[in-house]
Amino acid sequence: MSAFHFDGLVWHWPIAIYLFLAGLSAGAVFFAIMLKHFKLADKAYLSPFVQAAAVIAPIAVCAGLGILVIDLTKPLAFWKILVFYNTSSVMSMGVLVLLVYQVMLFAWLGSVFSTPIQQWLKQRLPLLSKLLAQLARHEDVITGVLVILSLSLGAYTGFLLSALIGFPLLNNPVLPLLFLISGLSSGAAATLLGGVLMRGNPNGVEVRFIHRIEIPMILVEIALLFTFFAGLILSGGQSQVAAMKAIGEGFWGWIFWAGVVGVGLTLPLAFNLWMKVSSDRKFAYVAVTASFSLIGVLLLRNFILYTGQMTAV
Amino acid sequence: MDNSKRRFLKGCGGVIAGMSVYTVTQPPQANTAEQVSELKYAMVHDENLCIGCNACEDACRKVNNVPDGVTRVNIERSGPFGEYPNQSYRFSRHSCQHCEAAPCVKVCPTGAAYIDEETGIVAVNEDRCVGCQYCIAACPYQIRFINPETRVADKCDFCQQTQLSEGLLPACVLACPTNALVFGNLKDPASALVKTLKSKPTYRDKVDLGTRPKLFHVRTIDGEIVL
Ligand code: SF4
Ligand code: SF4
Ligand code: SF4
Repeated sequence: MSAFHFDGLVWHWPIAIYLFLAGLSAGAVFFAIMLKHFKLADKAYLSPFVQAAAVIAPIAVCAGLGILVIDLTKPLAFWKILVFYNTSSVMSMGVLVLLVYQVMLFAWLGSVFSTPIQQWLKQRLPLLSKLLAQLARHEDVITGVLVILSLSLGAYTGFLLSALIGFPLLNNPVLPLLFLISGLSSGAAATLLGGVLMRGNPNGVEVRFIHRIEIPMILVEIALLFTFFAGLILSGGQSQVAAMKAIGEGFWGWIFWAGVVGVGLTLPLAFNLWMKVSSDRKFAYVAVTASFSLIGVLLLRNFILYTGQMTAV
Repeated sequence: MDNSKRRFLKGCGGVIAGMSVYTVTQPPQANTAEQVSELKYAMVHDENLCIGCNACEDACRKVNNVPDGVTRVNIERSGPFGEYPNQSYRFSRHSCQHCEAAPCVKVCPTGAAYIDEETGIVAVNEDRCVGCQYCIAACPYQIRFINPETRVADKCDFCQQTQLSEGLLPACVLACPTNALVFGNLKDPASALVKTLKSKPTYRDKVDLGTRPKLFHVRTIDGEIVL
């Protein structure tokens, strides 16, 4: 049995990338909203970090959907998913959430960046400009709905897998929470990385705000991972077999301990604590910490997807 | 600020209200395939009668045009048990169980995987399937596959499209030389199926998952006890 090909394997790495990108988009939106709401207010559109999130979130979610469509055995029939719905299917409801999320995302971006967009529109397209002004007036409602949608999207990436009752490692109530939190932290990391790359101040108010949330978030992630595997092991039977096979041996064991726990959680936690006490943030520090978090979350998605399908009930 | 907060909360409230209405209006899961119909097909595989000849798989392949490399039914062989010359094997049919609460139907985003309310057969609507493979991952019996020719999900449908539509028994049942396979209507007390179920102890696979499968097995009594 090799790490990427084994009996019973149905979903391959494109699905892991899709889950990663959807969670990342949701996280970036979530943190952009928090930045605007708690720190930046009307000046949000000037912040390179909010700008980075505004670029990353739509691209990530569209790329994720694109990968999902290409991965179908009949990619050209993908429109059927948009036409036919099944209320008991997590995937079907997730597609619905994704669609509304995209619409609300663009509405929110329009209203947050309405000042610069208006400047451009006013002379050229007066009608569109009036529409945008209307939209901007409802920004608070749009924001509220988008927060809920982004959290739903983050959790959906976990529910999609936890609905698979034949695999004890996936059919696990902690999984949606774990994916939600790690999705949020990947979004935070992408926002930070994009922001400093776009010449944002690595010691600015945005970075300090996100870092303050990141430390407790990493701790929660560690607690969730622990609960996840402790729960499986204590359940005995195939759940225990699945857990031991995943974290106890071989290629995926290495990915878990070195990649997910080491690079993805421990190092960012250490860097974050260090930056907190030294209260001096440099470009390299912020960028490296964010990259490690991103790598960790991407590895976690692949690790859960593959090891989850290794052991059936 | 106060006003904007109120509207923010209103937006949230609206979404939550919408979601609760959605949950209330959703039909209860237990009702799937519980419609009143006089027909409910099921199958018994008598492992004591089975000799592992694979005639069922071959017949299925021919009748349902199943390409090489994939199969709708598979007779799993375990053993040998006991010492030569008194060795024996055990055979167990591996195919769609036509679950009453079918996980594949539940997860399919387009409704391509469905339960035929008339017969209780779990089938695939080829026109609707997009090949997302969610059903394949969701089936706890791991018997679904993508048909390499049609590119859609495929599996045993009790010959719904072929034999049954011509009023014949499923191809595997007709092909079996030892009558190890019994097919019939669960709701008809006079059917050979119900008679078999009432005269022999049977088991079903993975019932603790709540799938309520309709493929019954008569357990091999030969050979040693295996834990
Ligand atoms: S055995 Fe699998 S494919 Fe057949 S009805 Fe049950 S879940 Fe669906
Ligand atoms: S592969 Fe086809 S039948 Fe299976 S869940 Fe996807 S759309 Fe439904
Ligand atoms: S045809 Fe009958 S005897 Fe032969 S393998 Fe199939 S069930 Fe067993």
